[in-house]
Amino acid sequence: MIYLIDHQDSFTFNLEHLLSNYDDVFVSNYFEIDNIKIAHSNLIVFSSGPGTPENYPQTSRIYKKFKGKKKILGICLGFQQILYNEKGRIIRQNKIYHGHQSKIKVLKSSVLFKPNQSFKVGRYHSLKLKEPYYSKETLITMRCMETRVAMAIENKKDKIYGFQFHPESFLTENGKYIIQKILSA
Amino acid sequence: MKKDPYLEKLYHSKKPFIIYKVKNGYDLFTDFSEKIILHNKNIDNFFKKIRKLKKFRSSNKFCSMYIGFFGYQLLCNLIHVKVPKQKNSHFPMGIFYKPETVIKIRKNITIRSSLKNFRNLFENKIFNQTRILSPFKINIDINRYKNIFNQFSKNLRKGKTYQIKICTKYKNKSTIDPVSMFWKLMKTNASPESFMIRDNNYCIVSCSPETLIEKKGKFITTKPIAGTLRKTKNTNIRKAYSFFKNNIKETKEHNMIVDMERSDLSKICKYNTVKISKLKYVEEYRHLYHYVSAIKGELKKNLTTKDIITAMMPGGSVIGCPKISTLNLLNRQEKESRNIYTGAFGYINSELDMRFNNIIRTIINFKGSSEIAVASGVVIDSTAKKEFNENYIKAKSLINLF
Repeated sequence: MIYLIDHQDSFTFNLEHLLSNYDDVFVSNYFEIDNIKIAHSNLIVFSSGPGTPENYPQTSRIYKKFKGKKKILGICLGFQQILYNEKGRIIRQNKIYHGHQSKIKVLKSSVLFKPNQSFKVGRYHSLKLKEPYYSKETLITMRCMETRVAMAIENKKDKIYGFQFHPESFLTENGKYIIQKILSA
Repeated sequence: MKKDPYLEKLYHSKKPFIIYKVKNGYDLFTDFSEKIILHNKNIDNFFKKIRKLKKFRSSNKFCSMYIGFFGYQLLCNLIHVKVPKQKNSHFPMGIFYKPETVIKIRKNITIRSSLKNFRNLFENKIFNQTRILSPFKINIDINRYKNIFNQFSKNLRKGKTYQIKICTKYKNKSTIDPVSMFWKLMKTNASPESFMIRDNNYCIVSCSPETLIEKKGKFITTKPIAGTLRKTKNTNIRKAYSFFKNNIKETKEHNMIVDMERSDLSKICKYNTVKISKLKYVEEYRHLYHYVSAIKGELKKNLTTKDIITAMMPGGSVIGCPKISTLNLLNRQEKESRNIYTGAFGYINSELDMRFNNIIRTIINFKGSSEIAVASGVVIDSTAKKEFNENYIKAKSLINLF
């Protein structure tokens, strides 16, 4: 079962439908976690949402509790939530991307995706990861081709993954393929 | 349109009735056997009542329905969003009517009623004439608008909202004859979701362009609008399309609403049935063009009417995105009640099929005052002055009726 934590976003249920192609999905609000269900899940997904990772201490607690024990995937705010808990700093960007389609490219550091592969993806974020960012385990694996902003992370050892863009958006061309890679990782 | 003696008599009486635009004409509803004034405490009873509509399906299926509206505050409360105390005129939070007589106004006029003596049900009262006692005034001037705009822009940069709609209101002192106003409006601006309500103590005239819910059997469609272009001598529908397509700001704003409505539908639809049936097309109106998409899905089994309404309302395209966080920002900012504005008007019938619109482009007359509310979106690339002016274009065809 996939446990999808909703940060009260207006895109979460697109993600639910996308994930439903691979397993049963259970969705709950970030402040109404079902402890038994989450303990029985194979994958925990942090949804996108408004605000910053600091606004969601409950989700940070779940991250720390299940890191290394379960596969975790973060989308947009969820991606930032993971980085925030891995000593990353999340800052405002000058140019804001809401409803924007960008081309992104896979880096050599990726284990799941072919390096140099590129995708068109949908973005909804006003914040980004502050760089340079160094971590032994959490590697940046995709970047925006235009601005170089970090678009994906992979932590192979703990099976933790994240995307700054929205794989479930109609603006993302290979959303299914991208999610499939995570599920089979 | 043909004149019909019964309709003429109805228009010139004081009898309450409702008109709703349909594809090839208008439906008129009257002889209301029930009028339900909604508030937070009786809303669940209302949903129970709707379920009974299905159980007691009578021979008078044509009028076995409730028609009316949910106001903005009621819709917020239904999804557990609180609205702080605001200046308001104490207009009801929602009203629904059960009609006994339905008149189909097409090329020909057909009248059906569950009442035998419906032709004689008139009181000797005369309808109100339109009288304007003061000119229209706007409730937020450009400077205050700029202030609000800048505050919301900050929240956009912080990621608390991705798009938010600032509401302004035009108000005057007047009484109106909604019938003549509505038909005048339909000559120039017959939008797909137009409607009119005339009741004893209030009336509403609307040329809403936006279908929020159209549910037929197991299928549901929504047609969000995001993007407005003013009409000039040099514009036409093709030029409008290429304007929207090449305008990054309009495109991004529209994309966001499409993903948002897909997600709202996904809450209540079977997995992988939510599809964009028509992406980004242009509808033409008297003073403006709109950028529209249509999204469709197949409903899950065993849903209640309330499930569908709370998933879809208030309509995302008239609020902003993401819904909950944006509603909270709006409600903290707005000092005056939105009333019916960005609520939803429509009907639910005995098949539990329904059609609802977003209440925008609407005049409400209550307690001797007419009110027209409009809103436009703050996204990251918009400017206060442009959006303020866009609000005026939206109100113009209604202000011109006075």
